[in-house]
Amino acid sequence: MYASKKYLTVAWILVLPALLIRIFTTIYPIIETFRISFFDVKLLRGTNEFVGLQNYIDLFGDSKMLTSLSFTAIFVIGSMAGHLVLGIALALILNMKFAGQKMLRTIVLLPWAMPMVVIAMASKWAFNNDYGLVNDFIRWFAPSFQLDWLIHTNTARFAVIAVDLWKDIPFFAILILAGLQFISSDIYEAAKIDGAGAVRSFFRLTLPLLAKSILVLSIFFTMWRITSFDVVYAMTSGGPGESTALIAYRVTTEAFTNLNTGYAASIAIVLFLVMAVLSGISMSATKRVDY
Amino acid sequence: MVPGIFKQRLLKGLMWGLALVVAFLILFPLWWIFVSSITPAGELFSKPIRYWPRHPTLESYRYLIEHAGLLSKIGSTAVIVGLSILIGMVVSVMAAFAFARFRSKGLSIAVAFLLASMLIPDVVTARPLYDFLRSVHLYDTYTGLIVLYISGILPFTILILQNYLNDIPVSIEESASIDGCGFFQSLFYVTLPLLRPALATVCIVNFITCLNNFFTPLFYSNGISVLSTAITQLPLRDNMYAVPWDLVSAMGWIIILPILVFVAIFQKQIMEGIMAGGVKG
Repeated sequence: MYASKKYLTVAWILVLPALLIRIFTTIYPIIETFRISFFDVKLLRGTNEFVGLQNYIDLFGDSKMLTSLSFTAIFVIGSMAGHLVLGIALALILNMKFAGQKMLRTIVLLPWAMPMVVIAMASKWAFNNDYGLVNDFIRWFAPSFQLDWLIHTNTARFAVIAVDLWKDIPFFAILILAGLQFISSDIYEAAKIDGAGAVRSFFRLTLPLLAKSILVLSIFFTMWRITSFDVVYAMTSGGPGESTALIAYRVTTEAFTNLNTGYAASIAIVLFLVMAVLSGISMSATKRVDY
Repeated sequence: MVPGIFKQRLLKGLMWGLALVVAFLILFPLWWIFVSSITPAGELFSKPIRYWPRHPTLESYRYLIEHAGLLSKIGSTAVIVGLSILIGMVVSVMAAFAFARFRSKGLSIAVAFLLASMLIPDVVTARPLYDFLRSVHLYDTYTGLIVLYISGILPFTILILQNYLNDIPVSIEESASIDGCGFFQSLFYVTLPLLRPALATVCIVNFITCLNNFFTPLFYSNGISVLSTAITQLPLRDNMYAVPWDLVSAMGWIIILPILVFVAIFQKQIMEGIMAGGVKG
């Protein structure tokens, strides 16, 4: 019925608004980012000249950039390790049948629904040595505990990762839960008859059956981690020093604070290429890994 | 077998314990933010922390309304989020319908393009987009912000609606047309009503997404202030603490409270929306 030429025009008219909006907000600016990454654009000094690959070459010698890269790597790896272990554990809890299960599922949605800025601002206060929730909690067990989390490199980094986990593990768990609910209970019945215990059937049945969704989810969550911005913006402002300046945060400070637009664009393009590679892997993973 | 039953009970008890720990870890910080928001500023810096305020006060909330323009921020947020969802839905339904019902090479490319554009992170396009918005005088305008908010929700919404439309057989529309319905009539009276559950779910998820959008108002507006950025723009008071924690917690709670209520009411639809997006996307 919709095959005729006349209807195809209608189709394009229907699609047009969505296409135009996306072109102006994503495609045009990314082409522009690509272009200015080859220019030395410093808004403060008013420079604007073609420098070829110089911005990209500068990336390698920039110590701030290397700190950002290494923390981004630590952040992604630490966060994903937490997601995989705690997220799967939480998903298993959510999948259990017990009174209050529905309530728990609602509670678990809350961190997902709240803006990261609010959580990050509150965390800044929560990790305060004297008046913060975190140390107060620790002092229930170790009364003489003293630590100003956000003024030391390692503890600040740990705190940022912890906040990220608090906010996002529940969401990860919900998506794993979706996968769990597709597994029919017959398989477990059969395994039980064959004498497999709970632990064994988890490692031999649940994990392999979930492998595909875990892999795809991990790639998506990694991509979100790589572009994380608001947690450090509101919680540490990249500090102490530059130790928690995630790469996405670095891009925006170069572009909007230091007004070093050309250089910022080159970092942005590297970031974009990493995302493109990861999504390529994700797509082939979706196709190849199957059970 | 007695040991079997015992083991099962132990397991159940363990699950219960873990569930309680999870609930505590999520809810306790929210409670603490709430308590901080109704504690007088002086009492806030007391050791140990009191999780039950001795002199509860709504002073912080009053201050936010009188000195930090809370009501106008709520107004701006409502206008931007409301219009973005409304217009975004219309645009998405149109596109999703076209993608689900028509087949051509060009349209396939358009779909691929829309999905691929999801991969471009906000930070990558921020600076050129900022300059572009300034040059067309859309920076710091409702129109500009609404267009950007819509852009943010489009790919997800189109994806979900298209998946849903694929499951509605074309024959329903065909029989409507045999009964004398025109193209738009069958779209409005036959297809849209069938799409209602998906529309509701997507609307609810988009509401949260728009409400929480922080990047867009932070970089593309200055005068127009919405709730999500308001928490970082609170007026500093001159005391030894650089950040006015009483106001921060009050502002935080103002943002959190509607979300708590909203999630409690729409738990089921939100879950469905997330799962549909997460598993298929």
